[in-house]
Amino acid sequence: MRGKDPGFTRRRITSSYFSSIISISLVLFMVGLTGLLLLNARTLSDYVKESLNISVILKENTREVDIRRLQKNLDASDWVKSTKYVSKEEAAADLQEELGEDFLNFLGYNPLLATIDVYLYAAYANPDSISFIESSLMEYSDVKEVYYHESLVFLINENIRKISISILIFSLFLFVAALTLINNTIRLTIYSKRFIINTMQLVGATRSFIRKPFLKRSAYHGIVAALLANIFIGGIVYIIQNEYPQVMKLQDLKELIFLSVVIILFGIVLNYFSTFFAVSKYLRMEEDDLFY
Amino acid sequence: MLPANIIEFNDCPIYQKDNLILSHVSFKIKPGEFVYLIGKVGSGKTSLIKTINAQIPLKEGDAEVAGYKLSQLKRKDIAYLRRKIGIVFQDFQLLNDRNIFNNLDFVLKATGWKNKMDIEKRIKEVLEKVELDYKGYKMPHQLSGGEQQRVVIARALLNEPEIILADEPTGNLDPGTSESIIKTLMDISNGGRAVIMATHNYTLLKKFHARTLKCESGRLSEVNDDQAIDLDF
Repeated sequence: MRGKDPGFTRRRITSSYFSSIISISLVLFMVGLTGLLLLNARTLSDYVKESLNISVILKENTREVDIRRLQKNLDASDWVKSTKYVSKEEAAADLQEELGEDFLNFLGYNPLLATIDVYLYAAYANPDSISFIESSLMEYSDVKEVYYHESLVFLINENIRKISISILIFSLFLFVAALTLINNTIRLTIYSKRFIINTMQLVGATRSFIRKPFLKRSAYHGIVAALLANIFIGGIVYIIQNEYPQVMKLQDLKELIFLSVVIILFGIVLNYFSTFFAVSKYLRMEEDDLFY
Repeated sequence: MLPANIIEFNDCPIYQKDNLILSHVSFKIKPGEFVYLIGKVGSGKTSLIKTINAQIPLKEGDAEVAGYKLSQLKRKDIAYLRRKIGIVFQDFQLLNDRNIFNNLDFVLKATGWKNKMDIEKRIKEVLEKVELDYKGYKMPHQLSGGEQQRVVIARALLNEPEIILADEPTGNLDPGTSESIIKTLMDISNGGRAVIMATHNYTLLKKFHARTLKCESGRLSEVNDDQAIDLDF
């Protein structure tokens, strides 16, 4: 006798769960996309910031060995990501190519100075840190001048700040929307069972006994919805990687795994607590109030 | 020594929300007693039954059901009080999302039954008692009103409760089935359980004599002669 519910009813119940799982998974997918955006926004802003460079212009006639020592010193400091030595000759060749004119012949000598291009870590690529770095660089006796695009540094930082705030506000908004949507979906599912919950109380079941199967099922649905959302996100990542490989790199795999774990946890926790509160509400309610 | 009362109400008002339905309700029921509860529609029979079952809180007065003082009843005690009462609801109150077997299975599991074999055996027993043992796989909506009513009676019998409250259990049944239901309920009460049955079916009342309580004009009173019952209907 056990478990032989007529197929039709079982199909109907399953399909109602199915649609709730799908709607929750779509919301989780949205949350995941936002997470992806947040993670990549950081990578992107770091990429832009780390492409900023400071040119350390060296004094005329600085010895090669001193230059190498200085470069090593710089490489060893916390704020330097990488350095690149550009000799007088290389600088002249670059400039010649840029101008398209043989200025060395015209002038009769090479007026350019050797430089070390310093690329900073993103965390130090802001106006305050750079001006501090500039003064510490000037303390080296071989350094003639330190040059960087002050306005560009300021502009990049300012724009990144603005974009980050917008993305953050957008994500917060989306997060609240996700919470509300999932909570509503679950409340509707539980609402449809309010009379059943009431009957369960009338036949002597304790509140926790009634709650248990609802909570178990909702956690399970949370996992399924989150896995579906992760599959969707995986698909999106795959497409982006194929179409725009420069936007996202495979090295982000760790972050992607982190993101999918967060989505699963988010799905379970949110489903669980929404169900808990929704069921508790109907457990507290008097029978007469269930009709409204 | 006479057994102690299983239900005792002393001067209790019965409210439905803020409306006073019955006042000065006093009565005592002993284990094994069979009691009819009669009265016109809206006279307060169901409200009284719901108060005994703690569906309606008792605001004032002193009442005790199966050892629980109703006015001091804590929320967590309600489930345990209800386990001592088997209720046959007027509107069935079956779990519509599962079949009959699973409806009964839920009640047993909710009241602490663990062994699968024991559960199946008990369900078979009570379904046989109401002659529905071959319909366990059906969903509640696939049964007729009378069959659903019998399932509800079977459910009330599951845990062999000390009290059976039946709110118009024969309301949806043909005369033959009604009689067999009454007989079943009387058997149950002979087995030592108190049975309170709210009813409109005076033919049965006359045929199966028992103590009768009547709700009328906001009061509950004892009826001692058939004449009074007749006049009422």
